[in-house]
Amino acid sequence: MDFWTELDQWALLVPLFPALAFVIIGSLGERLKRFEHGGWVAVVFAGVSMVLGFLIAIGEMLGPGTYVDVHTTWFTIPSSTGFPKGFSLVMGTLVDPISALMLIVVTLVGFVVMLYSIGYMHRDTGLPRYYAILSLFLTAMLGVVLADNLLMFFLFWELVGVCSYFLIGFYYAKPSAASAAKQAFIVTRVGDVLFLAGIFIYFSIYAAVDPNWAASGFLFTNGNSAFLNLGVGVNSNLLTLAGLFLLAGAAGKSAQFPLDSWLPDAMEGPTTVSALIHAATMVAAGVYLLVIGSLFLGFTSIDDFAIVAIGGFTTIWAASMACTHTDIKRVIAYSTVSQLGYMVLAVGAGFAMVGLFHLYTQAMFKALLFLAAGSVIHAVTTQDLFKMGGLRKKMRYTAFAFLAGAFALSGIPPFAGYWSKDDILSSLYGQLAIHPEYWPFYLMALATVFLTSYYIFRAYFLAFEGPTSREPGLADHAHESPWVMRVPMLILSGMAIVGGMFVFIPGFASLFDPALTSAAFPVTLPLNIPPSYPLIDIELSAISVVLAVLGILVAWRLWGNGRIAPLPKSQPARAMHHLLAERYYMKRAYDWIAATGAYSVARGADFVDRFVIDGTVRGFERTFAGLSQRMRKIQTGVVSDYAAYVIAGLIALFVIVLFVAPWLVSKLGGG
Amino acid sequence: MTTLSIDGFIGLSIALLAISIFGILTRRNFILLLISVEIGMNAAILNFLFFAAFPNRSPFFDGLQGQSIAIVLVGLAATEVAVGLAIVLALNRLKGTINVAEASSLRE
Repeated sequence: MDFWTELDQWALLVPLFPALAFVIIGSLGERLKRFEHGGWVAVVFAGVSMVLGFLIAIGEMLGPGTYVDVHTTWFTIPSSTGFPKGFSLVMGTLVDPISALMLIVVTLVGFVVMLYSIGYMHRDTGLPRYYAILSLFLTAMLGVVLADNLLMFFLFWELVGVCSYFLIGFYYAKPSAASAAKQAFIVTRVGDVLFLAGIFIYFSIYAAVDPNWAASGFLFTNGNSAFLNLGVGVNSNLLTLAGLFLLAGAAGKSAQFPLDSWLPDAMEGPTTVSALIHAATMVAAGVYLLVIGSLFLGFTSIDDFAIVAIGGFTTIWAASMACTHTDIKRVIAYSTVSQLGYMVLAVGAGFAMVGLFHLYTQAMFKALLFLAAGSVIHAVTTQDLFKMGGLRKKMRYTAFAFLAGAFALSGIPPFAGYWSKDDILSSLYGQLAIHPEYWPFYLMALATVFLTSYYIFRAYFLAFEGPTSREPGLADHAHESPWVMRVPMLILSGMAIVGGMFVFIPGFASLFDPALTSAAFPVTLPLNIPPSYPLIDIELSAISVVLAVLGILVAWRLWGNGRIAPLPKSQPARAMHHLLAERYYMKRAYDWIAATGAYSVARGADFVDRFVIDGTVRGFERTFAGLSQRMRKIQTGVVSDYAAYVIAGLIALFVIVLFVAPWLVSKLGGG
Repeated sequence: MTTLSIDGFIGLSIALLAISIFGILTRRNFILLLISVEIGMNAAILNFLFFAAFPNRSPFFDGLQGQSIAIVLVGLAATEVAVGLAIVLALNRLKGTINVAEASSLRE
C-alpha cells in the first residue's frame, strides 16, 4: 500500500481539524482574545485541513480512479420485512474523484474565507461564536463531501443547514437578519423532508433488489450494482418519485426555483458567510447531491427532464432579478442562484461531471466576488450600489479582484467561468438532437449568458467606475483593505483566472473523467472537457462569448463612467422593472401561502388543541372534581360510621363470593 | 347420650357476632364500643374451639391447633383491650368525654 492510498484512509482527519477548532474556540471563547477571539485558531486548523485535503486530492490525481472507503458500523438491525438480510447504518469516509474535487473546493475556500474574516470581522462583537460556528460548518461540509452513504450524508447535510441558520442570524439583534435566518431554515426544511422521503424510497426499492447493499450499509460504492440489477422499467414510477424527492432536497439547498427566495435574503449574514456558505460550498451541496444521485442512485428520464427544467428555468429566473437590484450582495446572490441553475441543468442532461466542473469554477469566482464585495462594504459601510462609484482608484486590489471575478462569471475566455459554462452549453447542445424537449431550457441558458455579463458589469461599473461616488465623500474616505483580506482575494483571483484551464492538466482532468468513473460504476456519463472540443462547439462558444461581450457593452452604455440609466419610459418596460424589483412577487406569494394556507392549518390545530385535547383533559378534571365534592360528604370522622362502611363492604364481599360469583360461573359455563 | 351437632355452637357464635356488630354500629360510648369489639373477638375464638371439638367438621385444623390458636387470640384480645383503654384515657384527657362521635377531627 503506497503513501497516497494510506493517506486516503485517514481522510477522517480532514473534517476532524475544524471540529477541534470548534471545540477549542467554543470552550475557551473570550479567553482567546489575543488570537483575534479565536480567529487565528480557526485559520490554523482550517489551514491544516486544507493541506490534508490537497494531499488527498493530489493522491487522487496521481492514482486516477481510486476509491478508498473506510467505515465502521454504527448499528445493525437484524433482518425484517423489506430488508431480508438486515440493515446497517455505517459511518465512514469515501475518497473518490468527485469527493477529491470537492475537498479542494471546500478546504481552499474555507481557508481563505477564515483568513479574510480576520480582517473583515475585526470590528464585530461575538467573534468566538462566529469562528466556532464557521469551523463547525467546515466540519459538516467536509462530512457531506466525504460521506460514504446516504444517511450519513443526510446527517451532515442537516448540520450544514443549522450552521447556515446560525450564521445568517449572526446579527441576531437585527429583525431582518433573524427573519432571514428563519426563512432559510424553514425553506430548506421543506426540501429536506422530501429528501428524507426520497432516501426511504430508494432504500426500500434497492433493498428489495439487492439485500446485500442494505446489509452492508447502503455504501455509495456498492449502490450502482443495485441500480443496474434493477433493470429498466421496474418500479419506475416509485423510482421517479424518489428522484423527484431528491431533486426537491437539492432545490431547497441550492435555492432552485421555487425554493429560491431564501438565498438573496440570506445576505443578511456577514459577507464572509455569504462567500463561504451561500456561494461556494453549502449551496453547491444540492448540486453535489444530484451528482451523487445520478452516479450512485440513478434517475429516470422523467427525473432528468424535471432537473433540466428546474435548472434551466432557474438560470434566467434569477439572472433577470439580478439585473434590477441595487444591493451589491443581492446581485451576487441572485447570480449564485442562476449559476447553480446551470449546474443543475448539466446534471439533469446527464453531464454530472460537467456540472461538477462548473461547481468548482463557480465556487472560486463567486467566493472571490463576495470577498471583493465584502472589501467594498468594509471600506464604504454601505451595500447600496447607487451610493458607490469611483472606488477603483482607491481600492486597486479589490477592483482587480472584482473584475477578475466578473470576467470569470461572464464566461470570457480564458477566465475560469468560460470553460465550465461553455462546456455545459455545448454538452446540452449535443443532447438537443435526442431530446428536443430541452430546447427551451437551452435557449434560456443561452439568454442568461447575456444577462449574466450585463448584471455583473452593471454592479462593477456602478461600484468602481466613474469620477467619484454618488453619495458625496464616500469614495474619499474609502481605503484599501488590510493584507489579511487582500491575500485571500489574490489567491481566488488567481483561481478565477487560471482555474478553468487546470482541466488541461491530465491529472486534474482525471477527476472528471467518465471512463474512470465507469470502471468502478458502469454508468454511461457523457462528458465534454475543453481539450476535446469538436469544431461545432467552437462556433457555439463563439456565440456565447459574443453574447457575454454584448452584455458588457450594454452595461457600459447604460452604467459606465458614472452614468445612471434612467428608468425606462414605456409602460410594459416599467411594469417589467417593477416585477423584477418585487422579485416576481414570489416573496409575497410565500407570505400569502403562509398567511392563508399555513395559518388556517394552524388555526385548525389550535382548535383541536384547545377544544378536543384540552377539553378532554378538562372534562376528566371536572368529572372527578365534582365526584370528589360529593364523596367528601361521607368523611364524617365518626369511628362508628367507618365501621359501618367496613361491615357493609364485608357483607358485599360475602354476597359476591357466595352468590354472585357462583352464579356467574354457572352462567358462563365454566368449571 | 345424644350426639351433639356443631350447628348449635356455630349459631351461638353467629349470635355473638351479631350482637357485637350491633354494638359497634350503635354505641357511642367508647367503653361499650370496646366491649362490643371484644364480644366479636370472642365469637371468633369460640369458633376455633368449636371446630377443635369437632375435628371431623374442620377441614384445616386438628383439635390441638384450634385450641392453641384460641390461646393466642385470647392474648391478642387482651393486648387490644390494653391499647383501646389507653385510647379511651387519651381521648378523655383531650376532649373531656369518651363519646366517639365527639372525636371527629379527621372529618373533612
